[in-house]
Amino acid sequence: MSPYPHAREDRPPTAASRGALTISDLDKSFQIGGQARRILDNINLDVRPGEFVSIVGASGCGKSTLLRLIVGLDTDYSGELRLDGERIATTSLDRGIVFQDHRLFPWMTLEQNIELALLNTDTPKARRARIVADHIALVNLTGFEKAYPHQLSGGMAQRAAIARALVTEPKLLLLDEPLGALDALTRVHVQNELQRIWMTQRSTMVMVTHDVEEALYLGDRVIVMSPNPGRIRHIVEVDLPHPRDRRSPLLHRLKDEILAELTSGADAEEARDNLVHLPSREVR
Amino acid sequence: MNGWLARFPVRAAIGLVVPALLILWWHWRTSAQIATFAPPAAVGRALAELLHSGDLLRDTLSTLKRAFAGLAIGAPLGVAAGVAMGIWRPVDRTLGPLLHALRQVPMIGWLPLMGLWFGVGEGTELIVISMSAFFPSMLNSHAGVAQVERRYLDVGSILRFNTAQRIRFILLPAAMPLVLTGITQALAFSWIATIGTELLTGAGSGLGVAMSQAQVQQRLDVMLVVIAVTAALGFLINQIFRRLRQSLLRWQPSVQ
Amino acid sequence: MATRAFDYQILAQTGRTFRLERLPLSSFVAPLALLALWQLACLTGLFPPQVLVPPSGVAKALADMTASGELQRHVGDSLQRLLIGFVIGALAGMAFGATIALSQLAEAAFSPTFLTLWQVPVIAFVPMMVMFLGIDEPFKVAVVAIASFFPMALATFDGIRGVPRNWFEVAKIYRLRLFQLIRRILLPATVPAILTGLRISLTRAWVVLVAAELLAADSGIGQMMEMGRQLFQIDVVLAGVIVSGLIGFLLDRGARWIESRASRWRTA
Repeated sequence: MSPYPHAREDRPPTAASRGALTISDLDKSFQIGGQARRILDNINLDVRPGEFVSIVGASGCGKSTLLRLIVGLDTDYSGELRLDGERIATTSLDRGIVFQDHRLFPWMTLEQNIELALLNTDTPKARRARIVADHIALVNLTGFEKAYPHQLSGGMAQRAAIARALVTEPKLLLLDEPLGALDALTRVHVQNELQRIWMTQRSTMVMVTHDVEEALYLGDRVIVMSPNPGRIRHIVEVDLPHPRDRRSPLLHRLKDEILAELTSGADAEEARDNLVHLPSREVR
Repeated sequence: MNGWLARFPVRAAIGLVVPALLILWWHWRTSAQIATFAPPAAVGRALAELLHSGDLLRDTLSTLKRAFAGLAIGAPLGVAAGVAMGIWRPVDRTLGPLLHALRQVPMIGWLPLMGLWFGVGEGTELIVISMSAFFPSMLNSHAGVAQVERRYLDVGSILRFNTAQRIRFILLPAAMPLVLTGITQALAFSWIATIGTELLTGAGSGLGVAMSQAQVQQRLDVMLVVIAVTAALGFLINQIFRRLRQSLLRWQPSVQ
Repeated sequence: MATRAFDYQILAQTGRTFRLERLPLSSFVAPLALLALWQLACLTGLFPPQVLVPPSGVAKALADMTASGELQRHVGDSLQRLLIGFVIGALAGMAFGATIALSQLAEAAFSPTFLTLWQVPVIAFVPMMVMFLGIDEPFKVAVVAIASFFPMALATFDGIRGVPRNWFEVAKIYRLRLFQLIRRILLPATVPAILTGLRISLTRAWVVLVAAELLAADSGIGQMMEMGRQLFQIDVVLAGVIVSGLIGFLLDRGARWIESRASRWRTA
């Protein structure tokens, strides 16, 4: 059985020819306590159509801010953000996002939640039910159409959120720590699902995570960011075909390298500061 | 510990001890010849009498009619005002302070003024009952809309919702639990206001009217019957609404 | 434990969105405009003075009644009844709530009776109490006490029953003695709920007292309004509306202030 959503069949197989994200000279500051604080500093990145890019970095390196800018929830930035040459100025159904909290509306069933995403598309009404069913099948949730979000497990709700983000067939799918709130086993399972979905769907995906292993397992490239202000420190090419084997020696070597990088220098300094200093007892 | 207390028959039996003692004491007081006390048996006779003459039914129906008419006017207006205030700041800025000032006045306190303006009668009662239904509906609806989470509104803007879609698919359903809480309160407040206004204006028919007549005629038995009916009806209406609320909010985890 | 037409917790949640001190100046535009319009409508003779007196007329009535001491007498009488009845009712409610919360036997014995009586709107007790107590001070004090008793009993019960079991376990681990347990854990944990109960009792009692005074009294704010109505003194009635609203507002505000001070650890 083909897991392809029905909607894709009439599209040319070279669908990957779209979804090119260009980030150039991007800066972003927030006003904190009357002072401008730089969050993102001179970000330059080209994401190829159909590519899976992972972004890792310590907390506070602005990776989630970057996604909010790309999706168009925040448009106050300097520099350039372009999708297929078009400047990003607001939200668009071309760009989907999955948050760490699934953000399904609790007052709607799974099916209604996903169908709601099609509200402002020109998809004919008659085909919507079919498309929704296909996407529920794509994330392996068939049978749970009428369930309310609170009746789903964390992993299921997150997969439903992925289906909602994909149902509009965005050129670019952003994933903001989508698996961050899941337990370790569920996480591995949804990672596999995500890889499978990406391989069938082939839209461009950019995922932010703090799990280096996850970043390497899924990403064609891994962007390593450093905090204060957020900068791109290093870009790692992961030259392995999909689907990947978690036991691959290359993945393990890269993981050790990136972890070493993240815990060295300034980052490590900060980590030391975070150590708990036990009060020394008075010696009698 | 206290395992035996958890058993229903035991609990029920213990729960009946206090009412039984009260009734015994009551009976004893009555036998001791205190004028205003009616013996427990007299209450039963009064109930039969009131049922037979149809007075009780008539009074109950008038009170219900008043309470629901007030609710039907006050609650929708309150929800509309609260939602509008929650969505549009200018409405909140202009209408808010005025309404908040008005709601400080004890509801029954409006009766003399309304009585002067509109005469003591059905109209005045209806206005005061509607007002008591209006304020809780307004406050809760406002709070409900105002505290819709930012993250849900973000989803709306990612899905390119326009204002109408945002209200219909996000703001209203997210505010629904509090809106229904407001209506539950409105139900209780309009019930109380109905009894109160009937007591004070004392015209026509109604449970409050019956109470004040019983007071004048020193009929404790009638009074107790009417009080019991008032309490039972209030309880019943509330239970019905709770069921309704549960079925409307079945998407909430806590309701299941 | 209980359900009634209005759960007191629900009441406790609402009305928190409005804060006078945070209002921008523009919020005063609408009420002031309304006041101006009201004054104007009266001056132009749109409403005859028997129907509506201008704000200045109400102010004058307030000033006159203050000068003659009449207003102070009414307000003083009302507040005295409120205070005495509230202290009696709230203390009794607290004691009762604590008893049924701490003893399962007491809960089994009293809660059915309590819950049944609780279904009766306090105002429905008024005519019966007039029968027994007449319309003098004891009646009004009793009305206030009953109105304060029920919310207070429930708040205390919920406050004590709401102390998480885990906290008792912590107390056990650190081997706290009974007195320490009460002082360090039970009291601080229940104080917020009890203060919320106090506030609701107080505001509820005020509403019921005004109603009782309207019905039967020889002094007090409610009686002042009722007399005003009977004598067609619209300025006195409007003054009564304003004063009763103001007192209700101040009671609520004061209780909220105490509440927020005493339970600061909750949000901190």
